[in-house]
Amino acid sequence: MARIRGKAKKAEIITLEEAVKKYMHNGIQIAFSGFTGFNRNPVAFAWEVVRQKYKDLHVIDRHGSCCTWLLNTVGAIKIYETDWMGWGEMAGKLDINMERIYKAGKIILEDYAHGAMAMRFLAGAIGAPFIPYYAPLGSDLYNPDYDALGRAGLRNGKNPRIPKKKFIQIEEPFFGDGEVVLLPAARPELAVIHVSKVGDKGTARWRGVGTIDKEIAFACDKVVITAEEVVPEGEMRKDPEANQIPFFTVDAIVEVPWGAFPSGVPFYYDYDAPFMREMDKASRNAEDLKKWIDEWVFGPKNWEEFIVKLGAKKLLSLKADSTTGYSTKMMRGKNPAPRMKMPLSVARSGY
Amino acid sequence: MAKTMEQLMELIDKIPNEKAKAGEFILPELMAIAIAHEVLNDDIVFAGTGLPMVGIMAANMLNAPNAVLIYESGVCDGKTMHVPMSVADQRAANLASTLGGLVDTFGYYLQQGFVTLGFLGGAAIDKYGGVNVTSIGDYYAPAHRFTGSGGNSDIGSMSKRVAYIILQEKRRFLERNDYTTTPGWWCWDFKTREWKPKKEVWKGTPYADCGPCGVVTNMGVYRFDEKGIIYLETCHPGISVEKIKENCGFDLNVSKIKGETPNPTYKELFVLREFVDPELIFLPAKTEYPAAIKSIIG
Repeated sequence: MARIRGKAKKAEIITLEEAVKKYMHNGIQIAFSGFTGFNRNPVAFAWEVVRQKYKDLHVIDRHGSCCTWLLNTVGAIKIYETDWMGWGEMAGKLDINMERIYKAGKIILEDYAHGAMAMRFLAGAIGAPFIPYYAPLGSDLYNPDYDALGRAGLRNGKNPRIPKKKFIQIEEPFFGDGEVVLLPAARPELAVIHVSKVGDKGTARWRGVGTIDKEIAFACDKVVITAEEVVPEGEMRKDPEANQIPFFTVDAIVEVPWGAFPSGVPFYYDYDAPFMREMDKASRNAEDLKKWIDEWVFGPKNWEEFIVKLGAKKLLSLKADSTTGYSTKMMRGKNPAPRMKMPLSVARSGY
Repeated sequence: MAKTMEQLMELIDKIPNEKAKAGEFILPELMAIAIAHEVLNDDIVFAGTGLPMVGIMAANMLNAPNAVLIYESGVCDGKTMHVPMSVADQRAANLASTLGGLVDTFGYYLQQGFVTLGFLGGAAIDKYGGVNVTSIGDYYAPAHRFTGSGGNSDIGSMSKRVAYIILQEKRRFLERNDYTTTPGWWCWDFKTREWKPKKEVWKGTPYADCGPCGVVTNMGVYRFDEKGIIYLETCHPGISVEKIKENCGFDLNVSKIKGETPNPTYKELFVLREFVDPELIFLPAKTEYPAAIKSIIG
């Protein structure tokens, strides 16, 4: 809900360890930035959450990611309210470990759809309690019998962040445009957003797609920005039209280079599909998964050590080209990427 | 010395647009080109990750160069040079008209009615084109849990036409889905608790006439009749009608079959192999060109 505030927030610049310790608690309702496991996941933050052993999280998001994959490795998520329970698309579609946990009854999954979650966060962002959307009539997503949070007795109004209903279908009352679905706003406690650049006052910017990160920043009570670079605020003011997050929404700033690995940050580094495939492979049985966590989560002393462990060779191959914003040096398939000056469609037919 | 991409571009119009012969291409190539043929030059296409994306990229380089490609993470009209592995891949955003987010793509573009063709995958489909990407068996205690909707239900319901690409097996082609993620031409009306045509359930909304127009599988291409029921249009080369019926969980209408799915042409294969997925990310392997084509490529 809209939160009437007495004064502007003043963002603090803190370390990753401090940010997790200060802004996390068991049972928190949380949303992460980016898109699937490929783009701007705040992985370093989720990694540190696993290390500091927070649990019973209610993740509410547009889809799974490297963050939810990591949290699920230790069963840290209790409620997962989203629309796509995969994480790595072509590098590891369904979170196999999550499916195991789900079948064992250890996690509640509440299904929505991409458009619906985007609208729920938009409602949360603009302080509206709900939003009408032509969510598909006839889809089991809006089957009154399929309401996982309701079935678990969690729509009793006791938790102010859990709506009393999953949705309401009504006859559109103003124009007579058929039946429409009202969706409750998403209003989590904490947003964790990974960006390329943030000013030291909190004004933040990414390049590439925005997914629903601006909506998340406004929908949540608190916002932690993790960034590839923290720069003087004045630098951000030279191109204000390139900024998306105004500083007064931001509570904390954490500088964490390579903080989205193995997802990518456009114009900084690319995603690491082979690394994600290894994660997927490890998740196929509990023993391999434990080995993976011990090696990659609890092994390194800190995030910097995690990145050092990846090795310079890998980092060089992932480094983004300054023209395209992605790497044309890394191997994604069986052959290297061809050198191209122009897309074929443009070369032959223009725009 | 390998040819540069610019040199390869100059060769495209020299490659004959004749149909390749059996053995000169693989099934994923035939499927990708079958997808490409669904795209019209004035379409605004909203596609999911995987083979749909490969197919629409091929369309953009062949039969539909001006088709607008929307990717759900926020890309409007991306002009892709290297095939993306995700709809949020920066490769999808190359030379785009605008970049936004999900509110743009699902709200401003899709719900607003701009999208003329949705192209999606599915785990199972019913005879009316309803798609399941959520779970098999009891919803709360599933035999298999899939990823869930993603954009499937929104795109599949509000695009003017929707095409699906699905692996064909008896357990995936069903009379009724265990769970309907995306409704087809007939769907359950939860208000009256009846199975009804989409046109009635969605009456009064702008989307009552939006819905499935085709399905491409590893065995054939399918359409929907005026009652909204799926029928077989073409079998892929080497696949018999009997085999297709064996791999279908309901009594499939095969009376309107037009023959075989056309083989891709050499020109289509050249563009697909050299420009869409030369890295072999989605295509499993590259078949050798026949001698006549090799001599043109040099």
